[in-house]
Amino acid sequence: MPVPDMKTDVLVIGAGPAGSMTAKWAAKSGAKVLMIEKRQEIGSPVRCGEGMSKSWLADVGIKPGRWINVEVEGARIYSPNETVFEINEKHAGNEVGYVVERDEFDKQLAIDAANAGVDVVLKTAATSILKENGKVVGVKAKRFGESFEIRAPVTIAADGFESQVGRWAGIPTNIAMRDMDTCLQYRMTNVDSDVRYCDFYLGKVAPGGYVWIFPKGEGLANVGIGVQVSQVKAMADARTFLDRWIDHHPGYAKGKKIDMVGGGVSISAPLKQTAGDGIMIVGDAARMIDPLTGGGIANGCIAGKICGTVAAEAVHAGTPTKEYFQKYEKGWRAFLEEKLYRNWLAKEKLVQLSDETFDKVIEALQDFKLEKLSVHNILKAVHEKYPEVTKEFEAFL
Amino acid sequence: MPNKKHLHIESSGQLCIYCGACVGICPLNCIYLDETRITFDEKVCTRCEICVKACPVGAIEIG
Repeated sequence: MPVPDMKTDVLVIGAGPAGSMTAKWAAKSGAKVLMIEKRQEIGSPVRCGEGMSKSWLADVGIKPGRWINVEVEGARIYSPNETVFEINEKHAGNEVGYVVERDEFDKQLAIDAANAGVDVVLKTAATSILKENGKVVGVKAKRFGESFEIRAPVTIAADGFESQVGRWAGIPTNIAMRDMDTCLQYRMTNVDSDVRYCDFYLGKVAPGGYVWIFPKGEGLANVGIGVQVSQVKAMADARTFLDRWIDHHPGYAKGKKIDMVGGGVSISAPLKQTAGDGIMIVGDAARMIDPLTGGGIANGCIAGKICGTVAAEAVHAGTPTKEYFQKYEKGWRAFLEEKLYRNWLAKEKLVQLSDETFDKVIEALQDFKLEKLSVHNILKAVHEKYPEVTKEFEAFL
Repeated sequence: MPNKKHLHIESSGQLCIYCGACVGICPLNCIYLDETRITFDEKVCTRCEICVKACPVGAIEIG
């Protein structure tokens, strides 16, 4: 049976956190909103390490729920010789956070959006963009194999890392190999993880990325790796490196894998453009992931709130133009751009460090009474002990 | 480009985990993920091999 064409004020493509947040705030601001999701189930399959900070949640209107899996006390950073530096709430403030059930989290955000008035349609994929006089006016979509059109003055591309909608609209969101990590993760049981900590292992064990251990419960953890694509030498390096790391750690080698997750993470500088006539891009699709930590949920949700609000305003004003969407560009950049850029620069430096230098950095941090965690303070600590190491980073001091 | 190398994306589930890493990195935007099927545009693809590197599980072969 043919699917009838649809019409709405704001069309959101992708029901991940950034999409649901955008949709919710657009609806709360009075727009008629349709959110489409290509999969049959929101939040599944999970493609995420499931660690996230918590300080930002209240600001964007997300209430704690059963998606919270474990509340950690801190993070432990392991240098290549496994010197440990512990970050806890004392120096990280509210940056320390939760390990979450990501599928539950995504579903909760979609429920919040639906309860705000958003129409949600599953099993519906955008297949191309509709343009009139150079302006985006909606998409061609496919549902149960049937093609149809969805028309909207505002289209939001919240289609995740593998985003294509923005590029179809002519907004360059391509990333270079050095600006992407290829990631793989196992859910492992019977391992020696500590429910109080998220652990990070740096250095050549994960070139251009890190190995993470995010606790999901007693003896249960997400054990994952990110490897910078430009440093990949052979096929499936992410898996090879992760398996090697596990083999070398008896507390994990004895564990059993019960789940496997993969994916791409952008670790790029912020995009120059995230809006065009009739379209805005948000979340991972807009390369808003923190290039240092690889975390994208908070940034996607923060930008989503702004994006949704601006989308509704543009509908009401009758001006869904690139010019009007500068409100969104300015809005998210005020919150995120400087940090993204600074952390991208830091990432560019960190990926060049030798294992010996990582060891020195972590050792210096151990001895230093760090009050607040920042790139600046970390460099100060390292500078006191190993001034030669910080020479390369003088621009940050 | 005559005599393009053979590119094979194994998306029957033996290796591929449908993560979309190849789709996101493809500089020509010519790889498509459709639930449990990954396809690429043979005509557009230049065999730059970036997707081969980006795949975390080694499901893309070229040669």
